[in-house]
Amino acid sequence: MELERKRSLALSKGTIRSLYKAGISIGFALLLTSVLFLLTGANPFLAFYYIFAGAFGNVSLAAETLVRTTPILLVSLGLAISFRCKVWNIGAEGQLYMGAMLGTITAVTLGNTPLTLIISLLVSIAGGLAWASVPAFMRAKLGINEVITTFLMNYVSIYLIQWLLAFPFRSPDTLFPESAQIPSSAVLPVLVPYTRLHLGVIIALFVALPLVHFLMMRTTFGYKLKAVGENPEAARYGGINVGRTMFMALIISGALAGLAGFVEVSGIQFRMRPSLSPGYGYTGIVVALLGQNNPVGVALASIFLAAIFNGSTTMSRALGQPQGVVDFIQGVLVIFVLASEYIIRYLERKGVLKV
Amino acid sequence: MLTPLFFLKRSRVEVPTTQADQPPGSELALYVKGVNKTYPNGIVANRDVSISIMKGEVHAILGENGAGKTTLVKIISGCLKPDSGEIYIDGRRVEIDSPLKAVSLGIGMVHQHFTLIPSFTVAENIALSLPLTGRLSLDQVKERIRSVSEALNLKIDPDARIEQLPVGLRQRVEILRLLCQDVRILILDEPTSVLTPIEVEDLFKMIRELKSKGKSIIIITHKVREALTISDRVTIMRGGRVVKTLTTKETNESELASLVVEGFCPSLKIEHVRRGEPLLIVKDLRVKGDRGEVAVKGVSFVLHSGEILGVAGVAGNGQKELVEAITGLRKADSGTILVRNFDLTNRSPKTIIKNGIAYIPEDRMRRGVILTMSVSENLVLKNFEDPPYSKKMIMDKEAMERSASELITKFGIKASDPWISVNSLSGGNIQKLVVARELSNGASILVAEQPTGGLDVKASEGVHQKMMELKSKGVGILLVSADLDEILKLSDRILVIFEGRIVGEFSRDNCDMKKIARLMLGASA
Amino acid sequence: MIEMEWALIIGFIAAGIRTSAPLMLASLGETIVERGGILNLGIEGAMLISAFTGFMGAFLSGNLWIGLLMAILGGILTVITFGILVVRINLDQVVSGLAINLLAAGLCLYFFRLAFSQGAFPYLSELIGPYPIPLLSQIPVIGEVLFNQTIFVYVGIVSVPITYYLIFKTSYGLKLRSVGEDPLVASYLGIEVSKIRYTALILEGIFVGMAGGLLCLSMFNVFDTRIVAARGFVAVSIVILGRWNPVGAFAGSLLFGFTEALSLWIGTFLIGPESASISQLLSLLPYLVTLIALLIGGRRVRGPAALGSPFSKE
Repeated sequence: MELERKRSLALSKGTIRSLYKAGISIGFALLLTSVLFLLTGANPFLAFYYIFAGAFGNVSLAAETLVRTTPILLVSLGLAISFRCKVWNIGAEGQLYMGAMLGTITAVTLGNTPLTLIISLLVSIAGGLAWASVPAFMRAKLGINEVITTFLMNYVSIYLIQWLLAFPFRSPDTLFPESAQIPSSAVLPVLVPYTRLHLGVIIALFVALPLVHFLMMRTTFGYKLKAVGENPEAARYGGINVGRTMFMALIISGALAGLAGFVEVSGIQFRMRPSLSPGYGYTGIVVALLGQNNPVGVALASIFLAAIFNGSTTMSRALGQPQGVVDFIQGVLVIFVLASEYIIRYLERKGVLKV
Repeated sequence: MLTPLFFLKRSRVEVPTTQADQPPGSELALYVKGVNKTYPNGIVANRDVSISIMKGEVHAILGENGAGKTTLVKIISGCLKPDSGEIYIDGRRVEIDSPLKAVSLGIGMVHQHFTLIPSFTVAENIALSLPLTGRLSLDQVKERIRSVSEALNLKIDPDARIEQLPVGLRQRVEILRLLCQDVRILILDEPTSVLTPIEVEDLFKMIRELKSKGKSIIIITHKVREALTISDRVTIMRGGRVVKTLTTKETNESELASLVVEGFCPSLKIEHVRRGEPLLIVKDLRVKGDRGEVAVKGVSFVLHSGEILGVAGVAGNGQKELVEAITGLRKADSGTILVRNFDLTNRSPKTIIKNGIAYIPEDRMRRGVILTMSVSENLVLKNFEDPPYSKKMIMDKEAMERSASELITKFGIKASDPWISVNSLSGGNIQKLVVARELSNGASILVAEQPTGGLDVKASEGVHQKMMELKSKGVGILLVSADLDEILKLSDRILVIFEGRIVGEFSRDNCDMKKIARLMLGASA
Repeated sequence: MIEMEWALIIGFIAAGIRTSAPLMLASLGETIVERGGILNLGIEGAMLISAFTGFMGAFLSGNLWIGLLMAILGGILTVITFGILVVRINLDQVVSGLAINLLAAGLCLYFFRLAFSQGAFPYLSELIGPYPIPLLSQIPVIGEVLFNQTIFVYVGIVSVPITYYLIFKTSYGLKLRSVGEDPLVASYLGIEVSKIRYTALILEGIFVGMAGGLLCLSMFNVFDTRIVAARGFVAVSIVILGRWNPVGAFAGSLLFGFTEALSLWIGTFLIGPESASISQLLSLLPYLVTLIALLIGGRRVRGPAALGSPFSKE
């Protein structure tokens, strides 16, 4: 009984610390953004009001925010797994493109069949997984830094896909380098009429999120991820196959990124385009770090960044601000996520904060 | 705590140039007065410690692990800041706030863990501690090394890489470096713990040479006999306090021993049961080291059930690689490892664990535990995939907690609850955690690497007791230790390893310490 | 006919050396910090920032050299920011590097859009061109290949022996390497680890600033947030392949510079409707070659022992 109480106490202590970290990061990032707004002649309160209104102002805007959340959440859930074992996959962008490309090819090739959607989704998962397996192999078997390889693989995949879309898989009916439209049976159904909110959000929030949560918190694989991430030497001594765990973590994150890619095609774009992702693979990194590799935290952080993504467009239009505030916020957010631990420790030393 | 300190500061203000316990006709080199040190975790390491060191004296500081010896010399050498206390050199009050400052005052320390960079040469290592700027002229440094080493009759190749030198020579480089910095007071922290008896003789010869040149040497040890052999005076510490300072000539082994450990005598009964059937058979094992060199060159031995087999040797002679090959952490090039006639050569660590080989690693913090994870998570590190801790890949936290609470009580681990992270535990408790995990999972073979390293006498006895218990239950124990005393105390049989080969085998009845020592150094028996 | 082919080949070699310059500068800078135990993956972002500050400096002042100065300042500033994260606050070097890259991308994108309205296409009317060295450039073949290059190539080549000397023949270099091998021991011996590391980082900042600046000031005359195109990461790979030695970094830079030049060179020979898309496909060649080179030469290499691990005195 006593232990049970202590355990829940210890647990909540960790959670409180995580919340503080997230709060401090967001607080500082928004503060810095406010300064930026002031310097560029915009009223920060008004700016944040427009961002909020642009993200959640009415049903269709809120739906758009959820639409935006979907790929970000799928990518960042995968990255949370990989980051948990300190495998720094920064190739989610390329994995997303590969999944989307292969999913699209499958959908277009199969045409209208009852299984087109399912098969294409599975192929996109396999595509992201396969693309991630190259750096995963190099990391696990040869000890080559995955940060470098996953990033370089992004360039290979994007140039490859640009070529594929410009030549072998170019749609005959458009002027731009893009694929043919996917068949109607490969389209994810819309959930709320007159919005673009599609089934993908259910996949992300109610399938992927609980699955990843269960995998990380309750299974032996989750234990292995943590052990390898915290101390690979001790993990190996304990009988855990460190290379295999890293390999698995990286390919699972690739698989989720690949899925995100095809969900975006089949829910929103209906064609594969070289401009499919405005950097979801990189936003995912910010989200995973902000959510501190906790699936629930990652989900909240996804919604947060998706809201800023969408809201800042509205805000830019209303206040004549340049586009790209979201990139600015994303950039400073990461720095503060990193520094927050230090800030907390500083505040603790000063006696301002007690965690 | 506060009042006596306050009193102290007030009552003794005169600058001391001589001391009451000072031998007649000698000059005071270093005087430490009333040093107190409490660590952030609440452990009081030094209480009102005063000590005086003469010029040209070898002064032993004797005490068991945890008596506060290392803390004291770390304060003197500028590695630690005391909470209060004063230090005088040649009668002048000094503040020593960094090792560098200590060196500039003529005090230098050789740590138990050497402060050398393995991939650098001797000259480069010594150059690092000299005040050089601009172009690096190693020739000048080598010249300096030559002049200093020749004066003391020390042979050393300035171009040798540290990683290629045996431990004894590395220690010599450390001492040489201090001498190149014109240090007058040398502090040696447990210098013999890593040496073979013959290397110890060399070290003592060097110490006498230094003494004749007017240097003061402080030698820290927990071995009474060592203090008697080498020192002029000896200061005994216990529980963070100075018990007494004696002139070595006027004391003897039993007096010192009784001062070091008060009211505690080893109660361990060593039983030598008849050994059982062979458990672990290692045949012609060859293993490569980190740099691709062959570290284990054809080792063969048999470990029987109910037997403690000691592997004696100077660190770095292939023990690490041998242990890692047996536990699956390093690939063997050739040879076989059989456990109950089941071939485990180059199998995964997991398979090896499943086949009943437990392993207490030397580097507990890095290998033995995951500091940021909880006590209960660490306790299941080797069997989290087995029921009851997990079923079909799903972990059972309640089962983990139940077993953790049990082990915490049984092994006396001081942890407030099973879910606190290991890094809030003290070093000794972390060691207990590792021992608890390794001894509780029903292994038939235990590989123990320096199992009592860093533990105080009582905790060491506890570990030894557990090992004897296991032995009586028929577990075979491979004990790898650089501490020859520990090996001699526990082992039923002793193997001597030198440069990756077994160069001698001794049974309990015919073991000859001198012979073992010679073999450890590669001399023929 | 033969002479034309000859001229083409000479032109190709000269181009190869030219495209190597940013890699050379960046990998030399990275070699220095990695010798001191710091893995700076934020080099990509530092190059981007310096390309941006370089472009803005040159665009606003109309002077390319002011642009270069701004690029170097931008490089130093970014690398120092990274340094504060990993040296002062002691954070994970890999994550800090990623953070710097994301920060750089965000800042450059935003401020570029802030500075120029949408649809505007700012460009520099001139570039820092080749500076033929008197006399030497007259030597046949060698003159054209080596002595009719931009200042960046000269600086890059001259920096190879200088960096080598700095790392292996000065007492600073000895301290730097000791900090990279074992910062705890180094600090015990009285070496100020953070001072040594900051110095190395500033040196890297200068190199990286030049490398980033030259992209906008000498290679392309426009700025784009994709301008660095993983050159920073290629530089980090080169450091590994070159075994943390400036000479190795030099050789590696040439290999990848030539690969890049080759993919452009082949592109110019292509004719027909698919030529554009094929030359697009060729642009993945440098990345592929880097990956393959890592696959062959990057297996479990032994770098500075303390590379990438955080260090605090406590």
